[in-house]
Amino acid sequence: MSVPANPKAMAPHRPGRTRTAPPMRPDGFPSAPRYRTYLLFDATGLTYLLAGFAVLAVAWSLGSGPEAWARALETLRSPIAIAFHVLVLVSAIFVGVRFFRLFPKAQPARIGPAKPPPRPVIHAMLYVAWAGITLALVAVLGGFLP
Amino acid sequence: MSDSKKVRFVLTRFDPDQDQVPKTQEYEIPVRPDWKILDALNYIKDEVDPTLSHRWSCRMAVCGSCGMMVNGEPRLTCSTPLSDYGDVVEIAPLANFPVVRDLVVELEGFMDKFKAVKPWILRAKEKAVEEGTHRQTPDELHAFKQFSMCINCMLCYAACPVVMNSPEFLGPAAIALGHRYNMDSRDEGSRERNEVFRGEGTVFECSYANECTEVCPKGVDPAAAVNQAKLNAVVDWATSFVVPRGGGK
Amino acid sequence: MKTLMLRLEPVIWLLFGAGIMLGTLLLPGYLLTVGIGGPLGAFAADALSYDRLHAMATHPIGGILFRLVLLGLVALPLWKGAHHLRALSVDFDGHHRDGVVGSLLYAIATVGSLLGIYAVFFRL
Repeated sequence: MSVPANPKAMAPHRPGRTRTAPPMRPDGFPSAPRYRTYLLFDATGLTYLLAGFAVLAVAWSLGSGPEAWARALETLRSPIAIAFHVLVLVSAIFVGVRFFRLFPKAQPARIGPAKPPPRPVIHAMLYVAWAGITLALVAVLGGFLP
Repeated sequence: MSDSKKVRFVLTRFDPDQDQVPKTQEYEIPVRPDWKILDALNYIKDEVDPTLSHRWSCRMAVCGSCGMMVNGEPRLTCSTPLSDYGDVVEIAPLANFPVVRDLVVELEGFMDKFKAVKPWILRAKEKAVEEGTHRQTPDELHAFKQFSMCINCMLCYAACPVVMNSPEFLGPAAIALGHRYNMDSRDEGSRERNEVFRGEGTVFECSYANECTEVCPKGVDPAAAVNQAKLNAVVDWATSFVVPRGGGK
Repeated sequence: MKTLMLRLEPVIWLLFGAGIMLGTLLLPGYLLTVGIGGPLGAFAADALSYDRLHAMATHPIGGILFRLVLLGLVALPLWKGAHHLRALSVDFDGHHRDGVVGSLLYAIATVGSLLGIYAVFFRL
């Protein structure tokens, strides 16, 4: 059976003349697959927030000298840290795939004087940028470039 | 129709004079293979139970009045084939709306949001008739045409998780309509509408679930409109610091 | 609080937008190296050594880019995270608590971003 929505959802500013039954949520919120995907998308907020603080800790250690950095590398090697980073990677890929699909149509037909390229082109450009930035970071941080 | 297939319909019933809360009532009726959901509702009302209340008008997916939840999905009942469903079909009034009676929802809340975005062409100064019409290039028409195809059936409101939780949110159709006028080269009211978009029912409440677009029967893509409106509202907000705004309008 | 948040919404949305776009573009490269590849020993031993990273951070030209990317990796996910967690709170019938939850999350993101600026530009 349906679950009630916010009792004021879609209520008129001035109440009507007759009594009304309260609004119901759409069936299947939050369990239907389409809502689950969307809620999971919002839930990646948690992994991103934690990732931001994890990078902050790494940057902090790098500023604290060689010993602190060695300790930081040790922490990064712990199974929990690696598992966490894998989880963040999975959520970042999930966010990217969904968001890069939705992003092109969020561009107005004209932004000031500029006209954005066709949607499939924007979509492709995002993937090229994604791959390029990832490769560049791996090349530099992985020590493949001087 | 004697040997035809029978389908059981589970309809939500609510009589504000008698019921505290809505209840369901079942009707088993003979159906024809070419029926839409609406044909079945009309059969029930005409042949079985004249007390059933539901809204409909054009029967061709243009008027936007027959939107209901069919097995939990917001659908235009006039264009949804019964053959897509099995032997049991549940029909409820649109989700996220107060219910007036049976399958009929309260529309005034939607009308309030609709009016808030000023869905008409705003001009600083009307052009005199002698000066001729406002001309538009195909490109300029293309910028908003898709968003003008909305029939106000409100299926998008019944699917939106933000509408479900935030009473003040303007919602998909109203924002799409406001954006349609903002993108119209003949219109000069985008500053006013952008202030509405940044106001209490703010476009930024949208979290891009994209469900409005999934259920839209007319291919309007309200999610695109809402998210384009966000960018425009931000650009308008930023330029308001650069270009001073007189009280002329 | 809710009114202030409404007035700041364009700024918050820009930070969130930068977070979901640039943050998502940057994160996999960082995670594959510092988060996963490095700790698992996939790269040369000195790839993530203090001397090498410190040299990169203090390089006269490249150092600026290094610091900006590092700050981006701190601050951008914070804003993406705060904004989406606020939306998630509303999704689960949190409209009445949105003022408190939203301000708290944005406060966390603000503090984290300021600490990030300090860590990246004043301690490195």
